[in-house]
Amino acid sequence: MKLNIEGLLVYFPYDYIYPEQYSYMLELKRTLDAKGHGVLEMPSGTGKTISLLSLILAYQKAYPLEITKLIYCSRTVPEIEKVVEELRKLIEFHCKETGEVNNFLALALSSRKNLCIHPEVSALRIGKEVDGKCHTLTASYIRAQRHSDPSLPSCRFYEEFDAIGRQIPLPPGVYNLDDLKEFGQKKGWCPYFLARQAILHANIVVYSYHYLLDPKIADLVSKELTKKAVVVFDEAHNIDNVCIDSMSVNITRRTLDRCTSNVETLQTTIQRIKETDASKLKEEYRRLVEGLKEANVARVTDVFLGNPVLPAEVLQEAVPGSIRTAEHFVGFLKRFLEYLKSRLRVHHVVQESAPQFLKDIFQKVCIDRKPLRFCAERLRSLLRTLEIADLTDFSAITLISNFATLVSTYSQGFTIIIEPFEDRTPSIANPVLHFSCMDPSIAIKPVFERFQSVIITSGTLSPLDIYPKILDFRPVTVASFTMTLARTCLCPLIVGRGNDQVALSSKFETREDFAVIRNYGNLLLDMSAVVPDGIVAFFTSYMYMENIVASWYEQGILENIQRNKLIFIETPDAAETSMALEKYQEACENGRGAILLSVARGKVSEGIDFVHHFGRAVIMFGVPYVYTQSRILKARLEYLRDQFQIRENDFLTFDAMRHAAQCVGRVIRGKTDYGLMIFADKRYARADKRGKLPRWIQEHISDGSLNLTVDETVQLSKHFLRQMAQPFRQEDQLGLSLLTIEQLESEEMLKKISQMAHQA
Amino acid sequence: MASLSEEVLLVLKKVRQRKQDGTLYLMAERIAWGPEGKDRFTVSHLYSDIRCQKISPDGKAKIQLQLVLHTGESSTFHFSNDSSALTDREAAKDLLQQLLPKFKKKANKELEEKNRMLQEDPVLFQLYKDLVVSQVISAEEFWANRMSTTNTENTLSDKKQDVGISAAFLADIRPQTDGCNGLRYNLTPDIIESIFRTYPAVQQKYGENVPHNLTEKEFWTRFFQSHYFHRDRISTGVLDIFSECAKQDEKGLKSMVVQGVKNPLVNLLSMEDKTIEEGYGFSAAASTSNPNRTGKENSNSAIIKRFNHHSAMILAAGSRRGDAPNDQASETSSTDGNSRDSDLFQPPIKKVKLQEAIDYLDLQREDGPKTVALNLKKSDRYAHGPVPLESQKYTTSQDIINSITCIRHEMANYVPNLAQVLTSSAVSSAIAALSPGGLLMQTGTQQAINQMVPSEVQGELKHLYIAAGELLRHFWTCFPVNSPFLEEKVVKMRSNLERFQMTKLRPFQEKVQRQYLSANITGHLEDMLQTAYNKLHAWQTRRMMRKI
Repeated sequence: MKLNIEGLLVYFPYDYIYPEQYSYMLELKRTLDAKGHGVLEMPSGTGKTISLLSLILAYQKAYPLEITKLIYCSRTVPEIEKVVEELRKLIEFHCKETGEVNNFLALALSSRKNLCIHPEVSALRIGKEVDGKCHTLTASYIRAQRHSDPSLPSCRFYEEFDAIGRQIPLPPGVYNLDDLKEFGQKKGWCPYFLARQAILHANIVVYSYHYLLDPKIADLVSKELTKKAVVVFDEAHNIDNVCIDSMSVNITRRTLDRCTSNVETLQTTIQRIKETDASKLKEEYRRLVEGLKEANVARVTDVFLGNPVLPAEVLQEAVPGSIRTAEHFVGFLKRFLEYLKSRLRVHHVVQESAPQFLKDIFQKVCIDRKPLRFCAERLRSLLRTLEIADLTDFSAITLISNFATLVSTYSQGFTIIIEPFEDRTPSIANPVLHFSCMDPSIAIKPVFERFQSVIITSGTLSPLDIYPKILDFRPVTVASFTMTLARTCLCPLIVGRGNDQVALSSKFETREDFAVIRNYGNLLLDMSAVVPDGIVAFFTSYMYMENIVASWYEQGILENIQRNKLIFIETPDAAETSMALEKYQEACENGRGAILLSVARGKVSEGIDFVHHFGRAVIMFGVPYVYTQSRILKARLEYLRDQFQIRENDFLTFDAMRHAAQCVGRVIRGKTDYGLMIFADKRYARADKRGKLPRWIQEHISDGSLNLTVDETVQLSKHFLRQMAQPFRQEDQLGLSLLTIEQLESEEMLKKISQMAHQA
Repeated sequence: MASLSEEVLLVLKKVRQRKQDGTLYLMAERIAWGPEGKDRFTVSHLYSDIRCQKISPDGKAKIQLQLVLHTGESSTFHFSNDSSALTDREAAKDLLQQLLPKFKKKANKELEEKNRMLQEDPVLFQLYKDLVVSQVISAEEFWANRMSTTNTENTLSDKKQDVGISAAFLADIRPQTDGCNGLRYNLTPDIIESIFRTYPAVQQKYGENVPHNLTEKEFWTRFFQSHYFHRDRISTGVLDIFSECAKQDEKGLKSMVVQGVKNPLVNLLSMEDKTIEEGYGFSAAASTSNPNRTGKENSNSAIIKRFNHHSAMILAAGSRRGDAPNDQASETSSTDGNSRDSDLFQPPIKKVKLQEAIDYLDLQREDGPKTVALNLKKSDRYAHGPVPLESQKYTTSQDIINSITCIRHEMANYVPNLAQVLTSSAVSSAIAALSPGGLLMQTGTQQAINQMVPSEVQGELKHLYIAAGELLRHFWTCFPVNSPFLEEKVVKMRSNLERFQMTKLRPFQEKVQRQYLSANITGHLEDMLQTAYNKLHAWQTRRMMRKI
């Protein structure tokens, strides 16, 4: 259908539309008009992605000078591929309706691991190894060496691409990862570098968060992207953690040991080169004196390591004299290393700020701030000069030099914590230096500053005001959309008591309580008898799940559950869990029914959807608070309080509730789907917890279902499931939660829709 | 004696039956007992006739073994050898325990089948009552040519559906304390089969060790004692024969994991696009698993692994047979080894799954052929209604819609053709002539019979007809008589028929005559019997002539 969104003609590739999709597009259009940023929450399964894509595509077509590019960031590879498929559908529809030939280029970009077609390299399968192997085949000096010695191995796909493919732009079309590979196979070009080059002129780029948020990668990949772009962060409920992750460093004793051997290798290599080819080192030195570090603009294949700090912070001056010669620099690294080793020898926990650390290092080993800032840059130059191909071995020294640069660049928003042992095992010495970022806004700031519009969207972003606060930006639109439903297809229930009136809670004091564990078991057992097909249960942590499973086993609860359904359990091992997941789906598929026990914040809770019969009920055992005793977390909470005036408890609850919402949101993936959401903890009933759930879940919690017993829950569930099992046809939805174009254009409906967006 | 050629498995002396001393013989196919000093068996049961055996409780003075037959009869043997009564009994019991299940299956199946047929078919049941229970023909004769038909049916439907395994079968083996520090596990053949199907490693062990190294009982005792069965599987001793099973399980689990998953959407390994490198990250530090976990934690994670494995095995056991060809296909593809191959296979699944994931069915207009919704007034009639034998000619719902519109159209244009109808007087006279008692209907007394004869007599007559029909069918199938067996049978059938006439038909006739003198409702039955006698007579005279 063709829609008129405030004067913009939008092609929407379906015959019907949900009211909230229309409303979402309205808000999005306003954000783009204002050239500002937006925070939009819309339940999963209401076609968020297609609405986004339809509107932005239409906008791009209508105002090609205003917006030249859409950068769509998602979290996982399957998500990325899904987005591209939706895009394909949209563009096909567009072409069919307008009769034009498609002139849009849209593509997905992923790491070499997912794009490499070189038979030997791609067989390695592990990201780091693929990258390293690729580098040994394609680095410019390797290729230069090959001129004199043709027997050296090469990658024919890259050579072909370099010879021919560079000049020929990728023809318009939609390229998913597999399409790129296929195209590469056909032409004999390397798909990875093809894609890297193509994103510069593509109209739509779909890739992972890291390509924009991790400065080490963003510097390489996304540096030259146009400013007139819309950036979308989908599934953005965890965006602050991604930001923090990309800027934090942990150093253990093992890292330092590996570092030492790295430094030794460097030293011997320098020695050897000095004897054979001293001019090389001299040339490097000359370059560094002139401050022309970027003059020999490295070929795209060489730049393997990005600078860990943000582009704005990279110094535009020459490398200081003290570390200019290779030997001096190695000596400098050695000193730095020794200092770190001495710091790790502590017997008590140390916490200090970056300036304190710098002051201490100056006093102890006379290392200045300035050479430290150039550490990463200098190492990069050295490694290139020494022509060390396989950089995977040098990850330790790279880590250390990145740390040096980070710690000397940022005086705010970071903390250093040195722990001599883990809290749980105080007798075993395992010193770790955490250099952790506490301010997610640091990493995302350049994105907000650089691009015209940044849209942060997800199914669960409540409470909406907290994201602008912790990411430190000023949005022009903040809106939450609820799901219009012809029938109430979700049923959130809060179980506060067992049948014996014992209060159910996962809080620390009652965590080991036998009665609580037993009642949790009974809840699962009773539900397993009532709910058809799949049930997913989430625990607050892996440890907690292990303990509960063990005690359920001893009490024979699991045996009884097995009478009703098969049991699968998430393990820390991803491969094992994948297998369990697949078997779980198989069991749901063939009618046996299964239960998946899983962990909030785990891989399953983040990336897997349980559509239709794969999840008819989800049970959240406890409130998934983060482990609060961690010093890093405490430091972060303190920082949040001081900088953003967010109280510790508010943040902890916010964090717990967004994970709970993520978990329970996994079962509802659309209006034809249905599922029970059982919150098994009495604390959910409190207003401060409940109020932080997304609006589309909150509005279905009735006052009567705030403190149910297990039996009551089972009764309500039975009733709900029986109702939902009735046939549900399109006609039932039409006019209420599903609109035709005529219905949409009626005065009344438009009025209703305009009121729908919930402005926070 | 015929039984001399049989293999005698066990001989037990001094066994009393009905207060008589004697010897108990366990043969390959039957159990028999003969009184002392005589060389014939007074008691002999085929194993397949035995439903179960019972033994007297341990404390009792009399050491007895009772055999209960399917017919409900039972024989009790009393072991009276002072010194070895108990061991004798145990020996007999153990042997029977091994033998009975073998025969039981067969016997049970037949019995079940017969039972089922009788239950499902009331007519057959009545026939059975008429002929077998009243001892007109023997049960074997009755079933002889019934079963042959059912057997052919059976072979057709022999690929019966496999029953899945209950996930909780291990839980069903509840140990019971026997009061003196012992545990008793009750195993049924079903449970054993479940164990074997779920854990092929155990079956293999069973095959290797039973009965050469261990008796069945010892095997299961060890099974339950072994750590394999229990949760703390970590410290399996070397002596334990099941430690190898545990290792095999581990291997199986690993290979399952290595094989990876087919559905790319659940593959957690390839979820992350760019993994955070070692040493970076905020959460990475928290999740570094420390290798020195305590024993308890270790056993907990062993439980979790075991549950995953158990569920996977049960699932596999359930779908093994159905998926066999599929599995093979995937195996051949994976035996080629290199990853490129599997890559080639991957895209279709991936494409399909991705499409599934992005489709919003309710946003699309429903297309495809128009269908007529099924509107059931009585759903049970739909479920159990008669099945047309030849329903090859299906009509599509489109056809139905077409024909409905067609009929509707015709009805709309229908104009009665009033010129060609009869006059009303002619019609009324024709109706009068055709009514009972009318001109054309005077000779029809038959139509009154259902009013004359009460329904119970009608029912009885029906049964008689069915019974006679059955017997006559047996009779007529003997012709042409071309074997001595058939000759014998035809003569026997004649006597059967005569007996039927005497015991069933005559009394009925008398009864009817007493009540309704006029009606001769059994005439036709007698005619049929007479025809049969005539045929037999003709055949016999012809044979006599030939002999002469």
